[in-house]
Amino acid sequence: MKFRSLLLMMCCALQISFAAQLGIYQRGTIVRMRMGECLPQRGFMAAISGNNMPMQTEFCPEYTLVTDKVVYVILGKISNQLLPLAETTNFRFQKNEIAVRVDDANQESKFRIKEMVLRSQWDREQRLMQQAEESPSGDLSSAMSVRPRH
Amino acid sequence: MPALSHRQPCLWVGFCLIYTFACLHLRAQTEEQPLLTYRHTTAEVRLTFLATENQTRRTASLQQSDFVVVDSDAVVRDFHTFTPAPEMKVELLILIDCSESVSPQVQRELREVLRLITETGGIEEGHLSIASFAGTQPKTLCQGNCRTWASERLSDVSAAGATPLYDAVVFATEILAQKRDQDVRPVLVIFSDGIDTISRHSVSEAMEAALKSEVQIYTVDIAGRKNHQRQGIDTLQTMSKVTGGAYFGVSDGAEILASVFADLRSAYVVTYSVPSRRAGFHEVRILPTRNHNLEFRSRRGYYYGTNR
Repeated sequence: MKFRSLLLMMCCALQISFAAQLGIYQRGTIVRMRMGECLPQRGFMAAISGNNMPMQTEFCPEYTLVTDKVVYVILGKISNQLLPLAETTNFRFQKNEIAVRVDDANQESKFRIKEMVLRSQWDREQRLMQQAEESPSGDLSSAMSVRPRH
Repeated sequence: MPALSHRQPCLWVGFCLIYTFACLHLRAQTEEQPLLTYRHTTAEVRLTFLATENQTRRTASLQQSDFVVVDSDAVVRDFHTFTPAPEMKVELLILIDCSESVSPQVQRELREVLRLITETGGIEEGHLSIASFAGTQPKTLCQGNCRTWASERLSDVSAAGATPLYDAVVFATEILAQKRDQDVRPVLVIFSDGIDTISRHSVSEAMEAALKSEVQIYTVDIAGRKNHQRQGIDTLQTMSKVTGGAYFGVSDGAEILASVFADLRSAYVVTYSVPSRRAGFHEVRILPTRNHNLEFRSRRGYYYGTNR
């Protein structure tokens, strides 16, 4: 039993180190962090165990990960799934999730993808929000009215 | 040479003409265009914090790249300045709970207060005040010359009446705010059981007042074992956590000032631009970039907007 679990751990470690060596990881920067409502568990086991709906509202860390072309909003699975907020975050896709590499621990932390948006669109939205905050009325519509037309 | 002397007057006339035209053109331009005044306001947040690793104090080894500030969800990595906190003086106000609920422990409480005052040698006489709260409103016991007052009169203080704890915090922060100075750190030490019974202000209003005045609150829990209510502990712990202070049990009384001075010596100051100009409360957290064992202690936020 011990041998099996040791073998499994070695396989996981090798997989991560190979992924790093092969340059599979994409790079991004986490620019926002907040505690959002956890998503219910999915899958067959969760369905039959009846644990797919949380009994009380639990909060999980939610990160906005910005890459060159796409911006992801990713959500942790448990409340203490915190990431070190270094300048660069290495991540890769694994099935429908994002696996973020935690460098110091040489391991990966898996997150669900809550939102995806093109970087250009996200930049535009950020500019609008900034203009809305800086406009005297603090109104988004007034910010949109001063937006230059292309 | 004669040819050159003939040309000289022409050159002079030409130069004068060009100069006159240039002046006229410049004047016309300034008359057409009103002078532009560029106004630029930079809202800067100044955050004083402590960094500890595995419960031990770190003093010199923290780097700017070791942490980020999460300000209202936005991760801030670009700091204007990051320095160890400069040597600062302390404006200390000791707030004593003299309500009926602490009457069994009041003598012990007063002994601890007196012990605390005898240890305040590093604080100038003018920067030390004592206030108490019981009944309907808090009152100032002494401002300046408190050491003499405490040695002569403190034992006369008796415990009776309701507990206006939150009102007392607002009252104390107002006193400290009046003495506000850039080079002086306002510190409030509260001796109480943490159970408010009569305040007009709420706990959130008290915390808002403390955060606006940048007062650091250190709480000393004086509740006896029988009366040790969870609510009181929570209140005292919240007050200290929100303002970046610390919570102590009554037996830890001797450590309070040591803790305050140690905090002053090992603190860092970071400044950065406000990431969002939304008016109101901005929650602030400091988180590590690599080392998960690093823990940071600072006030929980600041108010941005009209009455900052």
